[in-house]
Amino acid sequence: MKKTKLIKHLVMVTLGLLALGAGGTAYAQYPSKPLRLVVTFPPGGAPDILARIISEKSQLGQSIVVDNKPGAGGNIGAENVAKSPADGYTLVMGTVGTHSINGALYSKMPYDMVKDFAPVTLLASTPNLLVVWPGLPVKNVQELIAYGRANPGKLSFGSPGVGTSIHVSGELMKSMTGIEMTHVPYKGRQFAIPDLLGGQIQLMFDNMPSALPLAKEGKLRALGQTGAKRSPSAPDIPTVAEQGLPGFEATSWFALFAPAGTPKDIIAKINADSVRLFKQPDVAEKLKILGLDPVLSTPEELAKYQQEEIAKWAKVVKASGARAD
Amino acid sequence: METLIANLSTGFGAVLALEPLTILGMSFNLPMNLAYCFIGAVIGTLIGVLPGLGPVATIAMLLPATYALPPLGVLIMLSGIYYGAHYGGSTTAIIVNLPGETSSVVTCIDGYQMARRGRAGVALSTAAIGSFVAGCAGTLLLAAFAVPLAEVAFKFGPAEYFSLMVLGLIGAVVLASGSLIKAIAMIVLGLLGGIIGTDVNTGVSRYAFDIPELADGIGFVAVAMGVFGFAEVMTNLEQKEHREVFTNKVTSMFPSKDDFKRMFAPIVRGTILGSVLGILPGGGAALASFGAYSLEKKVSKNSAEFGKGAIEGVAGPESANNAAAQTSFIPLLTLGIPPNAVMALMVGAMTIHNIQPGPQVMTSNPQLFWGLIASMWIGNLMLVILNLPLIGMWVQLLKVPYRMLYPAILMFCCIGVFSVNNNSFDVLITVLFGVLGIMFIKFASEPAPLLLGFILGPMMEENLRRAMLLSRGDPTVFFTRPLSLTMLIMAAALLAIIALPQIAKRREETFVEE
Repeated sequence: MKKTKLIKHLVMVTLGLLALGAGGTAYAQYPSKPLRLVVTFPPGGAPDILARIISEKSQLGQSIVVDNKPGAGGNIGAENVAKSPADGYTLVMGTVGTHSINGALYSKMPYDMVKDFAPVTLLASTPNLLVVWPGLPVKNVQELIAYGRANPGKLSFGSPGVGTSIHVSGELMKSMTGIEMTHVPYKGRQFAIPDLLGGQIQLMFDNMPSALPLAKEGKLRALGQTGAKRSPSAPDIPTVAEQGLPGFEATSWFALFAPAGTPKDIIAKINADSVRLFKQPDVAEKLKILGLDPVLSTPEELAKYQQEEIAKWAKVVKASGARAD
Repeated sequence: METLIANLSTGFGAVLALEPLTILGMSFNLPMNLAYCFIGAVIGTLIGVLPGLGPVATIAMLLPATYALPPLGVLIMLSGIYYGAHYGGSTTAIIVNLPGETSSVVTCIDGYQMARRGRAGVALSTAAIGSFVAGCAGTLLLAAFAVPLAEVAFKFGPAEYFSLMVLGLIGAVVLASGSLIKAIAMIVLGLLGGIIGTDVNTGVSRYAFDIPELADGIGFVAVAMGVFGFAEVMTNLEQKEHREVFTNKVTSMFPSKDDFKRMFAPIVRGTILGSVLGILPGGGAALASFGAYSLEKKVSKNSAEFGKGAIEGVAGPESANNAAAQTSFIPLLTLGIPPNAVMALMVGAMTIHNIQPGPQVMTSNPQLFWGLIASMWIGNLMLVILNLPLIGMWVQLLKVPYRMLYPAILMFCCIGVFSVNNNSFDVLITVLFGVLGIMFIKFASEPAPLLLGFILGPMMEENLRRAMLLSRGDPTVFFTRPLSLTMLIMAAALLAIIALPQIAKRREETFVEE
């Protein structure tokens, strides 16, 4: 594998030199140097692993360097890409946060989520899982709503921070059902889970991959998933929408974006490369373990989806009164 | 008991298992996991020794390289890096007064003073022995009681965390060996610095001046490298000719019989305190070494010696931090909850290898679970064997001329700070804190209480407000929950112990004046 790459490089370099020698008007074949893929979260999480899968399996012919630039809900990394040259050598692993929720949440965004980026492709999405402390006497979403109505001021829901998809899922439930729940933010889900297991807080719309094992072991009770359809990772758990809240949908998604102005043919090339590699069976297997459902798209489909998401979350965030600066 | 032994033998079996390896066409059967453990321990020690470069950055860099390795091997190596770095961090704290990790801040206080008195070797051995004893005890505790202990941690809600932080902060006053007023001022300054960034509860940005890099607050590494590393180097540059040389008076490398006698009780106390605090996923481990230092200073017969190179001041905290490093694996292994950044990366490593972290790992992958625990014990043993002979070499480092050593320290500090977020802004912050650090030295104010305030402040505020949110605004929650009440009473008692002699002294002074 390595060897073939090396040979490929040598061949390309030789050809390049020949071309230069021949006329000096060599046509610059994209890509001619390594690409940089910015991940707006620290290594180890879902966006990082997705980026590393791309970096490992890409067949663009150049290495893709994963550059973790975490901070400010992903805004630092996204801003970095927004201000990078639009030559096709810089990409960002956009998330539902950096490319739709944050715009409503931060009053001063360091970049424009739509105008500063050229969509490349959607990659994967994952619903959240509504889990409750097992001591709470509810078995499904309807019972939870009834409990909330009967015991106002008793329910608290956790989240890994203001404006995360986990937080706004809870706000969406509040606005759709009118039940009273107190939002309790934490610095990360790993700090919220112990309090949920100990019954300090009663429920959370946790990320599916991390909540599922705890639900399977009976440490938490899963009431419903927040996707429009049941996720292939958990086909037995009904959606929240199925349980009397039609239209309830909150998904975390991951998509590739390039700086605005990146040439169309280059975008098409990266899109084709990603779509091809996410269809490989071993990649699909990895995504399943991560609890991610592959969703691929054309750049245009991503642009349309992003607009819908921006509109939806702007409404929810506004209704909740949440802000982040 | 029998199941424990059976489980541990599964674990040791997994670690020591021979695997075929082909080198140059020849096939060998080698205990590869043992090799990964060794590699992890060595890398961990090295990055621990390099100031600023911590396990988080290292593991993040190594993560892609681990795709090809088997999952148990990866986890063994990563955890080796984690506790190896804790271990190596104390080396720079002692030799050059540079804490690479939160846990080694207090080691600087007495460890560096010991080095100045020519007892660097003794301090390093004490740290090594204390860490080993604590590591073994912590691992055993992890193996025997991981599941029930994880349950205990859930009893610890926001109210309890708040009261624990109050206790910790009052304990921080004890950290300072100089003026009490200055210590309090430094703690308050630390608390204020810790507030910078986005407020967890409301999402409102505080003192960030619209700089996105400040939105998540100032990183601990940047502050520590600034007030310790940069400031130390700069003030040393002032002294033109007779810079401190303490290598010539290095007496002995290994602790004397008397030293052993003095370190025994602190190691035991540090191990117990560290093991308990390490279990708490919400930041208990950060308190371990600070708590142990305060405890030793209060109970020791030699409390006057603290701050001037007391061996207890190295033995206690070093044991506590290593014990906490082991028991902090409990939430990860039993529930799949990573209590810190390093373990979040280990969760990432598990998922890369198709293992879903969670409570089921223990039953579905017993070889992995028990193998990792067994490897921790082996890793601790390797660290001692590796480090005791290295002590001589580290002490030799002190002989490197300053004109070479100091630029190297500054460079490594910068690389380390940069590598945390891959952001050059953090390096500028370090320079700023370096300037502040020089001022602190001029005003004879100690930086350790500042750092503790910096770490505890945000956690304390977060838990106070969370507890109030959950009680719907009722402040009695801190007194009605028994665990919380107990800690508040302890805090009040500690406050009285600190304050009374001061008040008595003041009265004496007034009487004299009259």
